[in-house]
Amino acid sequence: MITIKNLHKEFEGMKVLKGLNLEIREGETLVIIGRSGCGKSVLLKHIIGILNPDQGEVFVDSQHISKLKGKDLVNLRMKFGMLFQGAALFDSLDVFENVGFALREHTNKTEDEIRQRVVQSLESVDLGDILDKKPAELSGGMKKRVGLARAICNNPRIILYDEPTTGLDPIMADMINELIIRLRERLKVTSIVVTHDMTSVYKVGTRIAMLYDGKIIAQGTPDEIRNTTDPIVKQFITGAAHGPITDNRNGQKNSNK
Amino acid sequence: MSTYTFSMRARIKEFLEYVGGVSVLLVRTIGWIFVPPLKKGQLLEQMKKTGVDSVMIVFLTAFFAGIVLAFQSAYTMRQMSAEIYIASLVSLSMTRELGPVFTALVVAARVGSSITAEVGTMKVTEQVDALETLATNPIKYLVVPRFLALCIMLPLLTIYADFVGILGGFVVGVTKLHIPPYLYIKKTFDALVYKDIFSGLLKSLIFAAIISIVACYEGLRTKGGAEGVGKATTMSVATACILVIAFDCFFTALFYFMF
Repeated sequence: MITIKNLHKEFEGMKVLKGLNLEIREGETLVIIGRSGCGKSVLLKHIIGILNPDQGEVFVDSQHISKLKGKDLVNLRMKFGMLFQGAALFDSLDVFENVGFALREHTNKTEDEIRQRVVQSLESVDLGDILDKKPAELSGGMKKRVGLARAICNNPRIILYDEPTTGLDPIMADMINELIIRLRERLKVTSIVVTHDMTSVYKVGTRIAMLYDGKIIAQGTPDEIRNTTDPIVKQFITGAAHGPITDNRNGQKNSNK
Repeated sequence: MSTYTFSMRARIKEFLEYVGGVSVLLVRTIGWIFVPPLKKGQLLEQMKKTGVDSVMIVFLTAFFAGIVLAFQSAYTMRQMSAEIYIASLVSLSMTRELGPVFTALVVAARVGSSITAEVGTMKVTEQVDALETLATNPIKYLVVPRFLALCIMLPLLTIYADFVGILGGFVVGVTKLHIPPYLYIKKTFDALVYKDIFSGLLKSLIFAAIISIVACYEGLRTKGGAEGVGKATTMSVATACILVIAFDCFFTALFYFMF
């Protein structure tokens, strides 16, 4: 469904992705793990075409995303929904306008049809009558759920989650995890989750890939990752302060220059 | 010496990238204006924010500018017993120069800063990325309404500033210099020809494009949280003000030789 080949990306001389290859299959929930700042969000932005690669290709449904323009790009983006780390709700719009944004911009639905769909989406994420509220009036957990409602409102086939549980209390984080599972089961969507919260990783992932030093260094089922013998993956999933990741940090900095 | 050369090269590169970036944004914005639909609601909201909400500050600036101009010119004119020509001087100065430039500077400070802060905050909180994921072009959604609103409202504000500035001069001329009101008004309109007003309005249209594009460009390239928004806002106002004065200089010279 999504194929990433030899992806390279550099920001102001800092190499973030260094020839990344990855395949994402239809209907799965792939969790991408890795340290903060290792390029997980950058990878997500390449998948949806917000960023263009310096080198390499991203194919979604066999379409080369960085070569798409105009209507083709709009049509492809409408297949996606994305939940941002900070929800990224539009401050100037209320919840109804935020959640129904894509429908209003890109479909000919009537205001009543949009309202109905927005209410359905909000119910899917366990939110009631908050249509008139502005993002500033919502708690962190509510913002994430409104962001998720916005991501699913136009019935996407692929949902991208950028750190969905970061900044939430454990109970709210678990509620978000359950929502991700429920959406996968109910809507049959393909999900890509970027996180370093290992509780989430094992709970929502059907497959896990680890991003390290600009490449995917390991991938497998949650059990395979849990029982890995790779010292880098092992240090990350156990959260040990000492090991190859921290020992290599200086070497990595030098190789980035 | 080599460090100095390197630093100079880096600065020239940065400057050229800036000019290129602003020019590309201007061309893209003009291109997106012709891609339907044009959101009238958004345009009207921006016209209110940029134009209607600036009426009071433009009134105060232009009125005081008219008063100062009348007093300053009275100081010289009195020595030649030519106080009556203050009316002509105020009206010509306001319509050709002070009206467009003062209004543009006030709007650059008030509206330009607000645009950069708003777009910059959207950028650092990933709202601009969110627009793209919702298949919406940020230039079409964010830049076009602000650009059009300012291009419509700044010339209107300039006409208003011209009138208010002349009114300021009138108040000084009639109450302090004791010029008969009828004579003051007559001298004001005798001095004015259409090209004075139109050259001022043409300048204000160019200033509107400069202020809106620079403000949006700075907003869209904002990095690094609240500090980044602050820096972008300062940069936006400073750049817009310098460009307004520079372009004013260029067009004043151009109109001088053309007309």
